Amino acid sequence: MYLSGFQLFFWATAFAAHLLLLAVIWRRGRAASFPVFTGLIAFYIARSVALFLIWRFVHQNTQSNYYYTALALAIVDEAIQLFVFYELATHVFCPTGVWAKDVKRAFVWIVAGSVLLATILTWLAAPEVKLSVQSLMLRSNFFSSALMSELFVGIMWLSATAGLPWKTHVARIAQGFGIYSIVSLILETINNYFGLQNSADVYNAANHVRSLVYLGCVGYWIVTLWQEAPAPRELPDAMLMQIYTLQRRVEYDLVRIRNWRRS
Amino acid sequence: MNHLFFVFGASLLVVALTGAAAQQYLRSRRSSDATWEDLLGRLEPIDREKIATVALDVIAENGERRQSDDAYSLEPEAIWQLLGGLEGLEAMERNCRVLVELAAYVQRWHPEAVVVAEQLRLNAREIEWHVSRLTGAAQTGNLQATFADYAQRAVAIYYMMTRHVLDLYEQVSFPELTQLRQAI
Repeated sequence: MYLSGFQLFFWATAFAAHLLLLAVIWRRGRAASFPVFTGLIAFYIARSVALFLIWRFVHQNTQSNYYYTALALAIVDEAIQLFVFYELATHVFCPTGVWAKDVKRAFVWIVAGSVLLATILTWLAAPEVKLSVQSLMLRSNFFSSALMSELFVGIMWLSATAGLPWKTHVARIAQGFGIYSIVSLILETINNYFGLQNSADVYNAANHVRSLVYLGCVGYWIVTLWQEAPAPRELPDAMLMQIYTLQRRVEYDLVRIRNWRRS
Repeated sequence: MNHLFFVFGASLLVVALTGAAAQQYLRSRRSSDATWEDLLGRLEPIDREKIATVALDVIAENGERRQSDDAYSLEPEAIWQLLGGLEGLEAMERNCRVLVELAAYVQRWHPEAVVVAEQLRLNAREIEWHVSRLTGAAQTGNLQATFADYAQRAVAIYYMMTRHVLDLYEQVSFPELTQLRQAI
């Protein structure tokens, strides 16, 4: 099976970058805060190894083995990415460990609206292709990138509207995913517009751009996850108790004012 | 035909998402990178004496509802004058956002303050809700009937919020407390 020089370069670079990112996550103790994101990076490393072994050593029906494995792993990849999205959302929308009361419903609407919009656009897409499996591939790639970009922009909007701050590392991971998803959405729109009927040149060029943007995102994660967030200052127990008392007073005041009846 | 709809819809989605992402990114960056001076600079001038007059018409200094005969003595017209109408309330609403960011500013160094910051954020959302009701009432011509109730409620919450932010700064012995007292 033939792989281009760029594909081999991307394969090796992404593998090395993921190893480095995993080492940074491990060394800086980020895995406890982002277990699903850590799992996704570990999955990417395992995927690179599995696909390499199939490409290098499985000789019989190599091409179909390679593509069916890649397709199955892409589905797993999409599922884990959705869990990463949920993990990041809980960091933002559960500041005290439980979902903030005022964002729950809006969050559900964002998810439902994103799925609906991505489904409608995917249904409208009609790429010109030689094989039906190519149409399935182009449309599922479009659906995936549309959904992820809508979800990431959606939670950015919701958090800004609700006034919920982002912790440093959560924001950096989400920014990486957000940029990559939007670039993918642009490229998948182009791919679905030109199709694969006449030539695969546009598709290959789009894949090269996407791969380079992805490597940029991994580089961004390596740098930003290595950097420490501002170090917290220790508070004595007495002050902590005062803070909790204050929180109860603020809550109590709100409930009281809410229940007024102006005579 | 579907192909045309797809290209149009997908292009519209890309433009909308890119614009929204850029706007939210700049907004969140302005908030997370804000220095102490930036935050104070964003507080709009509001006459605190007038706010206190409206709030203390219905609540005592400790936040308890006033039960005496002279409670609720301010007429709706007087409340409107003291607050500077809807514009004054909207300025107060914007200041609420800054109060929440002031609490989040403490949280950068004292993560335990998240419980207070979160509760203050919910209070600010309540004020936004009251102000949005008033804006809606103004559009439908029903402002007069609802103004006093929603406005005084929002002002009482705002008044208590300013007190609680000061309490928070005092409890963690934040060095900027004096400046904050003067600003709010």
